[in-house]
Amino acid sequence: MLITWGSEPDSRLEELARTVVETPFTRRTWAELLFMMAGMPVAFIGMAFVGITMAAGVVLAITFIGIALIGVAVRGARGIGGMQRRLAGALLDEAIDDPEPFAPRPGYLGWLQSALRDRTGWKAMAYLAVKVPLALVAFVTAFSLWWDAFRCLTYPLWGIGNRGSVAEWGAVRVLFQPGYLSPGNGGGPFVALATVITGAVFFFVAPWPVRFFDYLDRLLMRALLAPDAMTVRVRKLEQARAQTVDASAATLRRIERDLHDGTQAQLVALAMRLGMAKEKLADADHLDIDQVRDLVNDAHKGAKEAIVELRDLARGIHPPALDVGLEGALATLAARSTIPTELAVTIDERPSPAIEAIAYFCVAELMANVAQHAFASRAGVSCSQQGRWLRLVVRDDGVGGARAVSTGSSSSGLSGLADRVRTVDGNLEVTSPPRGPTVVTVDLPLRA
Amino acid sequence: MAVPLRIAIAEDSVILRDGLVQLLVDRGFEVTAAVADAGALRVAIERERPDVAVVDIRMPPSFTDEGLRAAIELRRQHQGLAILVFSQYIETRYAEELLGDDAAGIGYLLKDRVADVSQFVEALERVASGGTALDPEVVTQLMGASRRRDSISVLTARERDVLSLMAEGRTNTAIADSLCVSEGAVEKHVTNIFSKLDLPVSSSDHRRVLAVLRYLDT
Repeated sequence: MLITWGSEPDSRLEELARTVVETPFTRRTWAELLFMMAGMPVAFIGMAFVGITMAAGVVLAITFIGIALIGVAVRGARGIGGMQRRLAGALLDEAIDDPEPFAPRPGYLGWLQSALRDRTGWKAMAYLAVKVPLALVAFVTAFSLWWDAFRCLTYPLWGIGNRGSVAEWGAVRVLFQPGYLSPGNGGGPFVALATVITGAVFFFVAPWPVRFFDYLDRLLMRALLAPDAMTVRVRKLEQARAQTVDASAATLRRIERDLHDGTQAQLVALAMRLGMAKEKLADADHLDIDQVRDLVNDAHKGAKEAIVELRDLARGIHPPALDVGLEGALATLAARSTIPTELAVTIDERPSPAIEAIAYFCVAELMANVAQHAFASRAGVSCSQQGRWLRLVVRDDGVGGARAVSTGSSSSGLSGLADRVRTVDGNLEVTSPPRGPTVVTVDLPLRA
Repeated sequence: MAVPLRIAIAEDSVILRDGLVQLLVDRGFEVTAAVADAGALRVAIERERPDVAVVDIRMPPSFTDEGLRAAIELRRQHQGLAILVFSQYIETRYAEELLGDDAAGIGYLLKDRVADVSQFVEALERVASGGTALDPEVVTQLMGASRRRDSISVLTARERDVLSLMAEGRTNTAIADSLCVSEGAVEKHVTNIFSKLDLPVSSSDHRRVLAVLRYLDT
């Protein structure tokens, strides 16, 4: 205990020293420097273009040409924002989502209208306006540090006759009085050593301001070049809607298949047997009553099977137990389970029918999973209202190791459930360590 | 029946397949094969050479129209093999594909029709002897969608009934039975229909079917 306590500051210092020493040699440092350098022309040329077009547009704003020029400026700013985003992605590993692509309405006027209303373009313009001064300060700082580091480190290599003053440029000139490090002041080995040491210090310091300015740039890009929160939300909702539509189409197809292969076939066979029996009865001369009895028996059996199949199918579409409420429906589920299941329901307010149905199918599916995969001896289901949310918890004392695995485009099991829950902005969480216990928590909004 | 008709069945529903076999055997037919998919049907037909194949449209593996594809292919490969396609729903497009240029020895019926055993057996025998059996549903759909509704409305109600039965592939005798009129009366109706609709007169029943269907479909 004592040793750890004593050695901790040491190890921290050691780590700090290692970071300082290693940083100039990492890929990240050089990529950041490159980003800063490459960002300069993009920002300046971009700003020049946008600035000139905008200025001309504003001056001519009372004419149509002026408005068109502003549109071109906004559209151009969007393009430059895209370049900047790609640059950041390639050099800084800063993955910024692309905003919605520019989708102009048809026609020249439609294009102009779309361009003028393009939030992404206007935000990119704001980015450029801030980026230019930032790039300027960053560039001067970085360049002077790196350049001085280079000059000072290579000082002894300069030709004897060509040794000019070191303190001519950048950070050295700011930090040291003229003549302090200049060979004119006597020179000699001391000056050379001092200069090289200064260079070494600069070399290890130089990455940090660059990193700092790139960090500011990252914040700026995230704020102004990324799709805004509303767009992200809309995109998520669009995905969820697509999933809902697909899921309901798949459900309809499954129901049609079940009806076609099951009940419909049963009924056709039933009608056929009755048809045969009817014709045999009509032919009174050759009536074989045993044959007719067999046919009617088969038909009777078929009718009963069709009824059972139809009932199961109907229950799969909408469990009738839900009509009286989620509590009753869950109680039926728990009672039907092969594993002893404890049920606790505390709901003050009835959720909307869609939420009740999703909650019911979630519990049904989760309990089927418990029965099939968990090797559990007990299970518990709780359903409670927490503010505007409904929380379902299904737990078992089984073997654990359950995971939501997505299999290609069609997801099944847990991940299928998660998809279904997400369509109403809900959330599904699985904790299932090896050897259990497994706890699945589903949060659903009360209304959807 | 001296030589019973030999029939192969392809139907993926076990209940229906067993029921069909029971019905056909009960009616004195010989069932050479009862299989569950199109592949097995091809093999069975190659081996047993039945007179008629009764084929479900929707079968594994894709559960879409493999029965229909198999039927069209079998018809090309086996001259004289009559085919009764058999489905739980009627698609006019399927009927057109199936008939192609020749309606001889082709049937397309809803599965429900087995409930009227005698009519079903009669349709099967008609197809086996080179005739045509189209489900009334096909004819109804075609009539409903036809752009010729104006000219059809020129026909009397009775003539329209006769037109429908003709399109199903019935002979004049059968039409007369079904409408409870004399065969002569049916012949008169048929002649009227052909002249009113300006159709070429066909001697055989299955050509007559095609002529009527073409008329309705264009």
